[in-house]
Amino acid sequence: MSASEQELFQRLSDAVVEMDEDESVAVANEVVERGIDAYRAIEQGLSAGMERAGQLFDEEEYFIPELLMCSDAMYAGMDVLKPHLRSDDVAEKRKVVIGVVEGDTHDIGKNLVKIMLETSGFAVTDLGRDIPPARFVETAKEIGADIIALSTLMTTTMEGMGAVVRQLSEEGIRDRFKVIVGGGPISQGFADRIGADGYAVNAADAIRLARALVAPAEAAA
Amino acid sequence: MSLSPKERLLDTLAKKKVDRPPVICTGGMMNAAVVDVMTRTGHTLPEGHFRSNLMAELATDVNHDTGFENFGIPFCMTVEAEVLGSEIDFGTLACEPKIAREPFASNAQVQFRTIDRMLESGRIRQVAEAALLLSRSNPDVPVIGSITGPVSTAASIVDPMTFLKELHKKREDSHRVLDYVSEFLISFARLLVDGGASAICIGDPTATGEILGPRLFQEYAVTYLNKVIDGIHATGVPVLVHICGEMKAVKPSIPKLHSDAISTDAFVNLKLLKEEYPQLTTMGNLSTFLLELGDPDKVSRHTAGLVRDGIDIISPACGLSTASAVGNIQAMTQTVKDGGRGW
Repeated sequence: MSASEQELFQRLSDAVVEMDEDESVAVANEVVERGIDAYRAIEQGLSAGMERAGQLFDEEEYFIPELLMCSDAMYAGMDVLKPHLRSDDVAEKRKVVIGVVEGDTHDIGKNLVKIMLETSGFAVTDLGRDIPPARFVETAKEIGADIIALSTLMTTTMEGMGAVVRQLSEEGIRDRFKVIVGGGPISQGFADRIGADGYAVNAADAIRLARALVAPAEAAA
Repeated sequence: MSLSPKERLLDTLAKKKVDRPPVICTGGMMNAAVVDVMTRTGHTLPEGHFRSNLMAELATDVNHDTGFENFGIPFCMTVEAEVLGSEIDFGTLACEPKIAREPFASNAQVQFRTIDRMLESGRIRQVAEAALLLSRSNPDVPVIGSITGPVSTAASIVDPMTFLKELHKKREDSHRVLDYVSEFLISFARLLVDGGASAICIGDPTATGEILGPRLFQEYAVTYLNKVIDGIHATGVPVLVHICGEMKAVKPSIPKLHSDAISTDAFVNLKLLKEEYPQLTTMGNLSTFLLELGDPDKVSRHTAGLVRDGIDIISPACGLSTASAVGNIQAMTQTVKDGGRGW
């Protein structure tokens, strides 16, 4: 790899960390003009930057507004690079259905998890907010999801998460999906009680959890 | 000589010595109209969100059944956003109202309405009238008017993701909207005070350290909370502020708030907070999970712990689940009234 290529990837990564949409677009355009591999630019530039941003979030250097702006910079560069991906670059991605459970419309946390999952190479179907349990199940079946991710901020709506797990069991398809839960009032204890596969305390943790759950079986063996 | 609940709360907020801490639940974000109470009395939500007499009756039921030493109205956090233009989903008996849709895509698009006209629309007058009914029927019990804080209100009328980003990117627009929202909140709170509210509580769940981080918390949350607090103080009533979530990142900002008491989430150690900042009047913070899922014994034990720690006002930590058993809440209030004895 030429030094200048590496340099461009670094600039992409920095543009994301520094929340600079214009720079991200400019560098992405340069990547395209110079015929540099778009896939590697995404991987080693934009995604790497988002990973650093996630790290800063974990360390409480960055908070939600900063992380959202980083992701805007990442998506802006991504929009430029995506049309230049070769078809063999597009590997089969693990699929996630995500949404805020019925009765609740607070979706900041869900949106963060979605962004971080996409950055980490998951294909995410976002149902939005105030979603009845059956819709999660239907969509998961429809797209062949690996993970169903449920979020809520309200104690009054937590039970909707249990309803999703129950419906999966009733339909005899519980083992086809991993169910993960998160949000203000949720805890590991609650996740265990409703029979979810995992609980994540924040967006960064959700990525670790999702990766672990879809990792090849050797870990479990 | 024993103090009336109103005297005890106001004395506590004025840092005077009292016989024991008051035990309250402020309404708004801390709505105590649990399903148990509503099924017993038949005064139900969502109807109670709309009619002043029903709101007052339900607040009276809550005071009677739970033992909380105040009336807390309204029972939701959507009164403000509704008149500022948001679409509201009024919820059900067990599920509180919430914002169905924020009308403005960005701060720049916010249409500024006239405050006087807003005060005549939505449920504003109903809440003020409920305050009046309650303060007249029970002059010894403090009416606490609960309002939604400026950051949360702004993030209820502007798309919240854009709103958060614009705190960085478009500071002028953000300040303009927060200033407008704060002016409106002051006017709303004053109406509640005119109706006889003894204190105002501000819950601002979007203005947390976890969401904003220390810099934006100081620049926006502290600035506009203080603006609203100062505006309410001008009417002569005290102001309580509830800060949600983990407070570590913003702790140094907390003593800068002009409020008369500070309430926190359950996992904040109020005793340590008070040791660090002795000037604070602390309020809280019995776990609402415990209130929903625990049993009366455990609730009593934890409540007694808060009393022993010298917490100035005992209250549920954050939003109370409407499924919380009234027996658990009674265990909490009775323990405080017994002076935290028996444990």
